[in-house]
Amino acid sequence: MELLPFFEWAETSFLGYIGKTYGGVYATFGQSIHLMSLAVLGGTVLVTDLRLLGVIMKDVPSEVVADQAHKWFRIALAFILATGIFMAAAVAQRMYYNDFFWAKMSALLVGIIFVFAIKRPLLKGNHADIQPWLLKLVAVASILIWFSVAATGRWIGFS
Amino acid sequence: MCHQVRLGEVNSVINELLLQFAEWLYATGGSRAIEESFYLYNWIEATHVLTIMLCLGMLVFIDLRMLGLAMPGVSAVKISERLNIPMMIGFIIMFITGLLLFYAKPTYTIQSIWFRIKMVLLLVAFVNAVMFHKRLKASASTWEYEPKAPRRLQISAALSLGLWAGVVMTGRLIAYDWFHCYRELPAWLGAAAGCVAD
Repeated sequence: MELLPFFEWAETSFLGYIGKTYGGVYATFGQSIHLMSLAVLGGTVLVTDLRLLGVIMKDVPSEVVADQAHKWFRIALAFILATGIFMAAAVAQRMYYNDFFWAKMSALLVGIIFVFAIKRPLLKGNHADIQPWLLKLVAVASILIWFSVAATGRWIGFS
Repeated sequence: MCHQVRLGEVNSVINELLLQFAEWLYATGGSRAIEESFYLYNWIEATHVLTIMLCLGMLVFIDLRMLGLAMPGVSAVKISERLNIPMMIGFIIMFITGLLLFYAKPTYTIQSIWFRIKMVLLLVAFVNAVMFHKRLKASASTWEYEPKAPRRLQISAALSLGLWAGVVMTGRLIAYDWFHCYRELPAWLGAAAGCVAD
C-alpha cells in the first residue's frame, strides 16, 4: 500500500493548513495539549502499573486503582490522538520520511492493542484470581511499551 | 511618574545582572559540553519531558480526587499521601534536568519571556501547593471519605491543574523565539523578556 499520497493530502487538508500556517496554534493546541495529555496518560499507566508491582498505594485495592485509572486513560488517549493527528498533518511529508515517526506509530499501535486486548480484559476481574507473576509481568510490559511510545515520540523532534 | 522611572531602572539593572550571570554560565566548559553534545542534550531534554508522566501524572490524580473525579471511594488523604512520594521523585528529576537544560542554554533561556512566565507560574504553584497541604492536614479528618473535598480545597486543586497546564505550555514554548530580543518588540515586552540595550 502506497501511503505517501495520503501524507501529501494530509498536509493540504484544512487541519494541515491550520497547523502549518499558524505556528502559535500548532505549539499551543498541538504540542502543549499533547504534552498535558501525556502527563495524564502516563500518570494513569504508572499509577496502575506501580500499584500492580506493589510499589505504591498498597493499601488501596488494585481493582479500584486500575478501574479509575483506565477511565482517565481513555480520556487522555482521545486528546493525545486528536492533537497528535493535528500535529502530524501539519508536517505530514516530513513525518513520512522520519524513522522515529514510524517507530512511534508502531509502538503506539502495540500499546493500544496491549491495553484494550490484554491489560484491560485481564484487570477487569478480581485480581486475587490472577497469578501474581502475571500481574507483575503485565505491569512491566505496560511501563516498557508506553515508555517506548513517549520516548520515540520525543525523538521525532530530534531527528 | 518618578516611581515608574525608578522601577524601570531597577528592572533594567536586574536584567543586566541576570544576563551577565547567564553569559558567565555559558562560558563554562560544562555548559558548552552539554549544548554541543547531540545525545547528552537530547537525553536530558527527553528525560525532563518524559518525567511529567511521573510528576504531573501523580499530581493530576491527587487533584482529580479532590474534585471528586477520580477514586471517590478512597480516602483523599490516603491518595494524597501515597502519591506524594512518586510525585516528589518525579519533581526532583524534573528540577535537576531542568537546571541542566538552563545551564546548557543560559543566555537564550534567560531572555525567553516563556521561561520567565514559567518560573512565575512555578512559584505560584508552589505557594498554592503549600497552602493546599496545610488546609488538607487541618481539615481532612472530617471529610476524607467524602467524594469531594471542601470548596476551598477544590478551588486549590483546580488552580493547581490550571497552573501546571500553564507550566507545561510555557515550558514547551521556550523552544520558540517569537518574542526574543532580536525581534521587534514593544518596550514593555522587551523589558519583561529581559532584553538589555547594547
